[in-house]
Formats: sequence, structure tokens, C-alpha cells
Amino acid sequence: MRTQKSKIFKALIVIVCLTALILSSKTITSPLRIRIIDFLSPSLKTVNSFFTSARRVLPFGSLREENRLLRERISLLSRKIEELRIVSSDNDRLKELLNFRKTVPFITIPAQVIGRDPSNWSNSIILDKGINSGVRQNKAVLSTRGLVGRVLEVGRYSSKVLLVTDPNSKVGVMIQRNRQGGILVGRPDGRCRMIYIALDSDVMPGDKVITAGFGTIFPKDILVGEVLKVERAPGRLYKSAIIKTADDLSKLEEVMCIK
Amino acid sequence: MYKISRFQIYLIIVAALFLQGSVFNYMEIMGARPDLLLMVVVFFGLFLGPAAGLETGFAAGLLKDIFALDFLWINACILSLSGFAAGIINTQFFKESKRADFIFVFGFTIFSMLLHYLIVSVISTSLALDFRDFFLGSVIPTAIYTGLVSIPIYVKLLDIYNLKETEDYL
Repeated sequence: MRTQKSKIFKALIVIVCLTALILSSKTITSPLRIRIIDFLSPSLKTVNSFFTSARRVLPFGSLREENRLLRERISLLSRKIEELRIVSSDNDRLKELLNFRKTVPFITIPAQVIGRDPSNWSNSIILDKGINSGVRQNKAVLSTRGLVGRVLEVGRYSSKVLLVTDPNSKVGVMIQRNRQGGILVGRPDGRCRMIYIALDSDVMPGDKVITAGFGTIFPKDILVGEVLKVERAPGRLYKSAIIKTADDLSKLEEVMCIK
Repeated sequence: MYKISRFQIYLIIVAALFLQGSVFNYMEIMGARPDLLLMVVVFFGLFLGPAAGLETGFAAGLLKDIFALDFLWINACILSLSGFAAGIINTQFFKESKRADFIFVFGFTIFSMLLHYLIVSVISTSLALDFRDFFLGSVIPTAIYTGLVSIPIYVKLLDIYNLKETEDYL
């Protein structure tokens, strides 16, 4: 009984200390954390490439089973065709990235996503490029389809990007069609909400949302997403809208960091 | 001390972390992903007691803190508390029922996510997340999803480690 009480007491001390540590933090960035990620980045790359390959190979499982019933030669050929298809789709994706890089009026650094946020609260990704490759803190990150987020922690060989879908993210945006402004805030479910839209604004589902270019982080006129639903709570002075991001941010493989 | 060695416990936590960031990341339904680390911590709390729940919660939370972009120590605190609370109630309920497992994981997911919201609301002056949006759009789907995924995982873990009721491992 006494040991049980002392265990509970120790646990309470641990929890109180942790609470004090959290309350003493002022920002979500931490230099110590990015150093650890820097150190772990080679293993993260390896694990990520293993899972990426596994994800690409998995659909072959059923095909392989089916092919076992067929002649060996047909099996070999069909597998080769599938392999070539993957190479071709990789090629298309990389070409798209390269073409996009040419059309973007900024100098960008291509980077690979090597890690994802394990938390259900925050939305962030880990990139395989850091200060050594020219990545800087508080610079926008794009995909071929639109805005991804901004670099928040930078190490030598890796960096962490706060996605626009993170609850801590806020981006000045506007509706492309009528230039009505608002603020885009993230939600843990991977969608965003555009708040502070004027009541007289005729914003409607399907409208494209672009960056407003206020401040120094996000350049103007970058596609963010499109309006899914417009809401107006009674008694509120502003409308709000649910925004679907231009790219599926949970499945990103390559991104570009603005230099 | 426990029927599962500390090495195995930490191995499961590290494996859960990597699976969470890879496989489970692609298992998204309506924006919700199952929280494997919380699931594992609640499991250790329920079946190994409050000390193990606290210890594994701290380790899993710290790993989460390192890989996430959030206030440092916040996940360590929340998971320690969740693991510890799971350990406290471990002797009071029959844990080998699938329905009980689901209810425990469902409840602890809601508890941990609401606690996260509360702590961030206190620390952050600029949180613009609507509580209703968060609760209905994230907390409930995540809790249901995590609870459902926990059923086969708990069955597997119980099989592997042959963990029965309290007297078997304490």
C-alpha cells in the first residue's frame, strides 16, 4: 500500500515537472529537437525509402498470386510491364516537378519528405535538406499544385515544415475571383478554415484561394486550395469557409523550398 | 519485473513510432488517423500497471515530441498521464474483452486530445481552432478509429505476450 502511494507520488512529481516544462515554452520551435532530427536523418531516409518501396510493391501481391497460376513467362513479362509503369510514373512526376520549378518565379530547392508528424494534433513534415542546401527558416514550401507550408526548424541536413493544415499555422489569403481577404488557419483533420471573410462577400464553393502576400513569408498569388463550404454562424461579424488544400498534404513525397 | 522485458517494450514503442509516421499515415479516413502510440501506452498501462504506463507514456511522448512540431514535452506529459491513468484503472475492469478494450482506447483518445487542446489553449495566445470543429472533426473520428484498430492489435499483443489478468504478471 505504501509503495503504491509512493509510486503515485513519484508519478505526480513527474507530471507536475512536465507541465512546468510545457508552460515555460513560448514557441513550438526547439533547436535541440532539430539537432536530434539532423542526427537521425540518415536512418529516417532509409526507413522512408523502405516504406515507399513497400507501398509501391504491395499492389503486386495480388498480381503475383494470380500470375502463379499462369505460365512463368507471362508472369515475368507482366511484372516487367508493371515495373516500367512505376518508373514511367516516377519519371512523369519528376518531370512535372522540374517543369514547375522552371515556371515558378523564385529560386527553389527541391527536397524529399523523409518523415511525418506522428501526432494527431500537429501537421508537419521532415525534409532531407537543411542549411547546408540553402533552406532557411520562415520560407515558404510549395508542391507542384500549391502551397504546402513554411520551414520552421532548420538543421544542417534536415528541416521541419509546418503545414498549412497545422492548428498553429496562419496564412494571409484571398479569394482569387473577388480578391476578398481572410486568414487561413489549419485544423488537425487535415483541412483548413478561412476566417474573417467579410459578410458581404459572395464567396462560394469552388472558389480558388490564393496567398495574399502580406508579410515576408509567403509570396503573393500562390494557390492554396479551394472553398468546399461557406459557413456563417448567427451573431458573428464574419463568414468562414472550409478549404480543401490544393495538394493532398498527407501524401507528399517531394516539395520545393523557396530560397 | 514484467512479463515483457523492458527492451521489448521500447522496441514496440519505436516500431509504433515508425509505423505511425509511415503506414498509419496512409490509413487516413475523414482526416482521422489511428494513434498507435497512445494505443500501445494504454495497453502497457492496462496490462502492466501505473508505473509501466507512466514510463512507456513518457518514452512514447518524448519520441512524439521530437518528431512533431509542437510545444516540447507536451506529448510526454499527456501520454505519461494517459498511461498512468490506464494503469490506475487496470485492476478495476476486465480487460480481455474486446468491447472493454475499445471503450478504454476510445476514452483515452478523447481524454488525451482534449487535454492537448486545453494545454495549448492555455499556452498559445494565437490558437484559432474552433472547439466544435476540433471535437466533431478530429476527436470523435480519431477516437472511434483508434478504438477499432486497437481491437486486433491488442488481441495480437495479448497472444504474443500471453498476458492474462492481473495476478499473472504483477
